[in-house]
Amino acid sequence: MSNHSKVGVYLCQQGPAAQSAIDLRAVSEYARSLPGVSHVEIRPTAWVPDPVQLADQIRRSGFDALVVAGPSPGHFKPAFARAMAEAGQSPEQVRLASFREHGALGSLDRAKAVVACAVHNVPFGLAAKLRHTVVNPATLVIGGGVAGIQTALEIADAGFTVFLVERSPTIGGHMAMFDKTFPTLDCAACILTPKMVAVGQNANIKLMVCSEVQQVTGAPGAYQVKVLHRATRIDASQCTACAACAEVCPPRVASEFDVGIAERRAAYMPFPQAVPNVYVIDGEACTWVQSGGKKCGVCVKKCTKGAIHLDQQDRVEEIEVGNIVVATGYDVFDARRIERYGYGKLPNVLSALEFERLTNASGPTGGKIVTKTKKYNKRKKAEEWVFDLAGAAPRNVAIIHCVGSRDTNYNKYCSRVCCMYSLKFAHLVKEKLPESNCYEFFIDMRAFGKGYEEFFERIKHEGVHVVRGRSAKVEARGDGMVLRGEDILSDQLVELPVDMVILSVGLQPTRETPELARMLGLSCVDDGWFEEANYNIEPTGTERGGIFVAGVCQGPRDIPDTVAQASAVAASVLRSIVGGHGLESRGDLSLDEIEKGARDLAPQMQA
Amino acid sequence: MANIVRVNPGLGEEVQRFGADDVAKCYHCGNCSATCPMSKEPFLIPRKSMRYLQMGADERLRGNLEPWLCYYCGECSDQCPRGAEPGETMMSLRRWLTAQYDFTGISRLFYRSAAVEVGAVVVLGLLTGIGFYLAGTYLGGGDLNIYDGPRAFLPAYGKGGSFFSFGGVHTFDWAMGVLLAGLLGINCLRMWYFTMFNDQAPKVGIGAYISKLWVLPWHFISQRRYSECDKKTPWLVHLIMMLSYLTMLILIMFFLHSVHYGPEIVWQAHAFGYLATVGLLFGTVYAMYGRANKVNTYHKHSHASDWLFPVLIFYCAVTGIAQHIAHRTGFPALANVIYIIHMMGVVPMLVLEVPFGKWSHLAYRPLAIYFAEVQSPALLAQARARQSAPATARAA
Ligand SMILES: Cc1cc2nc3c(=O)[nH]c(=O)nc-3n(C[C@H](O)[C@H](O)[C@H](O)COP(=O)(O)OP(=O)(O)OC[C@H]3O[C@@H](n4cnc5c(N)ncnc54)[C@H](O)[C@@H]3O)c2cc1C
Ligand code: SF4
Ligand code: SF4
Ligand code: SF4
Ligand code: SF4
Repeated sequence: MSNHSKVGVYLCQQGPAAQSAIDLRAVSEYARSLPGVSHVEIRPTAWVPDPVQLADQIRRSGFDALVVAGPSPGHFKPAFARAMAEAGQSPEQVRLASFREHGALGSLDRAKAVVACAVHNVPFGLAAKLRHTVVNPATLVIGGGVAGIQTALEIADAGFTVFLVERSPTIGGHMAMFDKTFPTLDCAACILTPKMVAVGQNANIKLMVCSEVQQVTGAPGAYQVKVLHRATRIDASQCTACAACAEVCPPRVASEFDVGIAERRAAYMPFPQAVPNVYVIDGEACTWVQSGGKKCGVCVKKCTKGAIHLDQQDRVEEIEVGNIVVATGYDVFDARRIERYGYGKLPNVLSALEFERLTNASGPTGGKIVTKTKKYNKRKKAEEWVFDLAGAAPRNVAIIHCVGSRDTNYNKYCSRVCCMYSLKFAHLVKEKLPESNCYEFFIDMRAFGKGYEEFFERIKHEGVHVVRGRSAKVEARGDGMVLRGEDILSDQLVELPVDMVILSVGLQPTRETPELARMLGLSCVDDGWFEEANYNIEPTGTERGGIFVAGVCQGPRDIPDTVAQASAVAASVLRSIVGGHGLESRGDLSLDEIEKGARDLAPQMQA
Repeated sequence: MANIVRVNPGLGEEVQRFGADDVAKCYHCGNCSATCPMSKEPFLIPRKSMRYLQMGADERLRGNLEPWLCYYCGECSDQCPRGAEPGETMMSLRRWLTAQYDFTGISRLFYRSAAVEVGAVVVLGLLTGIGFYLAGTYLGGGDLNIYDGPRAFLPAYGKGGSFFSFGGVHTFDWAMGVLLAGLLGINCLRMWYFTMFNDQAPKVGIGAYISKLWVLPWHFISQRRYSECDKKTPWLVHLIMMLSYLTMLILIMFFLHSVHYGPEIVWQAHAFGYLATVGLLFGTVYAMYGRANKVNTYHKHSHASDWLFPVLIFYCAVTGIAQHIAHRTGFPALANVIYIIHMMGVVPMLVLEVPFGKWSHLAYRPLAIYFAEVQSPALLAQARARQSAPATARAA
C-alpha cells in the first residue's frame, strides 16, 4: 500500500443462502478501518456491474485501485477492469478478494483477512504464512467403510496408530452389503473381507465399533477427541460368536444390514463375516433393558463364556490424535419421497439396496430373486409382505434410473454410481432368471470409467432391454403392476406390466453430516457434501489443517475411486507424520496475524 | 418420414417472447409425456414439442396440433425434474401458433408486446366511445334522456324498430360479427392448411372428415376433453365461462328484441342473461384471483394476454350490469352513458381478441381436436406398421 493510494472496496453479495452467511456489513466496517480505503459499498445479489457508471464513480472519487470482494468475485472482474481503463486508471489495479478460494465462506474473520490482503495488495497465501506444528503420530479415522478401511490399513501398516471409529457394530460400510461389484463382477465379499479381517488383526488399529465422535478440540497436529462408546452389553474379548445368545433371544426387529427385508434378534451379529466377529445386544430392542431388568435375560444364562453384561452403560473415552480422516460415506435417497413410484406402498417396488440384499447369497432368500409373498405374522397378528424362498420368480423386471438424482425437486447432481450398479442388477437378473425380461429405463447412460462402456455393451448383448426415457409412474393394476413411461427414441408411450421394479436411488450426504461438519469446523458445498480444500489440486485436504476427507462423504464416487482417494489421504497423513516438518496449516491463523503479515509485506510488493 | 427438417436457430428466442423461458433446461427424460393425462397415442404431449423448440424446427411446430390438446393442468411442470416448465411451454406455443395462423400479423404484434396490445385496446375503446357519442348525437334520436325505441339516443334498430330494420346499433352488431367471423375464418383455414398438409400429416380422405364431424360441436359445447384432466375444477370453471359467454352472444345477436326494451323484465330471456352474467363474473374473478395469488402451477406464469382476457370480460360484465340497473330503474340518461362506457370495452374485446387474441382459442381448440381425430386412425396405422413390438429399443 502506498500512502497516496485511494482504494474503493466493492463487497458483492453472490448466490443464495449458504454463501451469504457472511455478514458483509461487518466486513464493510472492517474494510473502512484499513489504511488507504476511501470508500466501501455493498452490492446486492444479482447486481450487474455497469462499466460506464462505475467509470464515472472511479473518476469522481479518484480511486486508483479497486478491491472486488465476494464468494467468487472473478465473475465481475471484466466489468471493473473496463471501468478502470475508461477512467484512465490501470486495469491491473482491480484486485479480487475471493472468499471461496481462500476458505472464507464460513468465517467472518477469514473474510475480513482476505479483504485486508487485497487492500494491501499482498497475495493471501503469502500473508497467511503456513504454520508448522508438531504432529501427534496417532490418527483418527471416522467411518469404517471401504474408504476408512483403506486409509486405516495404509497408515497402520506404516507403523502408526489409528483409531478407527465406526458407528455400526461392524466395519465394511455399504460395500459389505453387495453381492458383486461392477464392472468386473468380482464377488464383493471376496475382495472386501480380507481387508476387513486385516483391520481386525492389525495391532496398530484400535477398532471402535458402535462408537461415535462426540467432541473435537485442539489444533492441527494435536486434536483432543471425545469418543462415545455405546454399550454393546457383550464383552468382545470373551465372545466366541457361538450364536447361542441370539438363538434364544425373543425380540425380532428389522435388520439394518439387510435394509429391513429380513429380521434380526436383539442379540445379533450383522452378518457372519462381521469385523469384529462378535455379537452385540441392541438395547433398544432388548426386553431386559426395556423392562428395566425385570423380564427376560435368557441369553445371560445361555452364554457359557459369561460374556454378557446386560447392565453395561455407554462410556466416553478421550483420545489424542494429530490427524483426522473423515470417511463417513453416504445415505441413499429415500424413494418414499417420490410418491408416483409407489415405493413403500407397492410391495414389489424395491430400492437398490434392498435388491442388493435380496440377490446376495447371505440375504433372506440365499440370493434367489423372488417377488414378495403375503404371510401371516403371528407375533404382529397381521398379514405382511415378505421375501420367502417359496416366492415366485418375477417375469418382468424394470429398473428405473436417476431416482432422486438429477432432479431439481430432489438432488440436482448425478449420483455417478447408479447407472453402473443398475447394469450390474440387470446382469444379475438375466444370469439368475434367463427366462425373465429385464428393462432399464434411463435418461443418459453414464458409463465413464475403465471398462464401463464395455460392461454396458455386454449387458445389452445379454438381452437386457434398454429404454431411453425415465418412466413416470408405477401403479397397481389387478394383481400386478404397470409402469408408464415414454420411450423417447421411438416416440411411444410404454405401458409395461411388471412384477418387480428396482429404483436406482441416488446417494446423498448422511444425516449427521452438518453436525459433524460443525464439530470439525469443516464447510459443506451446496449439495451438502464435505468441501475439499481445492477441487482440482487438493481434493483430499480441507480448510482445517490435519483434517482430510476420503470416499463418498466428499461426493458420489464408486469403489475404485474411493479406494484411490483413501490411499491418497493416507499418503498425506504419513507425510505430515514422517516428513519431519510437521503439519502445514493456515486455518487457525487469527485475523490480526494475517493482516499484520500483509502489512509487513506490502512495501516489498510495491517495489 | 425421412424428410429433412429446416432448422431455424432463432426459434427459441422467438418463442421466448411468447413466454417459453425454460425450454433449454429439458433433457428429455420423458416424464412429462408419460405423466400428462392428455398424452395418448398417436399424440404424445408435451415432450416432442420441447424437442422441436430446442431444435428450431419451426415448420414441424407450425403444423403441430399438440399444443391445442393440452389444457395446462400443470401436472407435467410439477413433475419435471429440470424445472423446464413444459406446461407453460405448451401455453406459449398456443400463443405462438395463434400468431402463426393469423395472416394479418396483428396477433404477433400483440403477443410480443403487451404495450401494443393494451394500447390498441385503449385506443379502440376511446374511438368507440367517441364514435358512439357522435352517432347518438347526429344519427340517432339525439336525446340522451331517451333509452328505448326508435327515438332513443342510440336506437337498437332502424326506423322500423324490428329485427330486420337496418340502421340501428344492431346493424352495427351484425356487420361487426360478419367481419370478425370472416377474419377468424381465414385464420382457421390457414390452421387447417398448416396442420393437415405437411410432411408429418397423413393423407386423409373426405370420409374421415365427415365421419368425425360430430366431434366439433360436441367438444365445443361440452369441453369433454378438458374434463379428462385429473383435476376437474378448472374444467368446470372454464365450461361455465364458455357457456355464459355463448349465452350472452346468442342473446344479443338473436334475442335482442326480448332483452332490449325496459323497464319491464322478460324473464324467459332475462333469466338466461342473469345466469350468464353470474357465470362470467364468477369465472373471471376466479381466474384473476388465481393468477394474482399464483394458486396453481398453471397460474405461476402470467403473460399480459392472460390478464387482458379476464379483465376485459369482467369490465364488460360489470358495466353491463350497471347499464341494466340504470335502465330498469328509470335513469335513461345514465343508462345511455353507461352503455357507451360498456361498448368501449365490448368493441375492443370483440374486434381485437376474437381474431387476434386469446379469444380465438375458442375456435382453434375444438378445430384442433377435430383435426386430431381425423388424423388419428391413419397415424396409428402408420405407427403400427413401423414398430411391431412396442417399446423394446433392444440394441443389437
Ligand atoms: C446399491 C448400490 C450398489 C453399488 N454397487 C457398486 C459397485 O458394484 N461397484 C462400485 O464400485 N461401487 C458401487 N457402489 C458405490 C459404493 O457403495 C461406494 O463407492 C462405496 O461404498 C463408498 O465407500 P465409503 O467408505 O466412502 O462409504 P460407506 O460405504 O458408506 O461407508 C461409510 C461408513 O462410515 C460409517 N459412518 C457414517 N457416519 C458415521 C459417523 N458419524 N461416525 C462413525 N461412523 C460413521 C458408516 O456406518 C459406514 O460404515 C454402489 C452403491 C449403491 C448404493
Ligand atoms: S452366547 Fe456368549 S459367546 Fe455366544 S455369541 Fe452370545 S455373547 Fe458371544
Ligand atoms: S449415475 Fe446414472 S442413474 Fe445415477 S444419477 Fe447419474 S445418470 Fe442417473
Ligand atoms: S420437459 Fe421436463 S419432464 Fe418433460 S422431458 Fe423435458 S425434462 Fe423431462
Ligand atoms: S399441462 Fe397438463 S395437459 Fe398440458 S402437457 Fe402438461 S400434463 Fe399435459
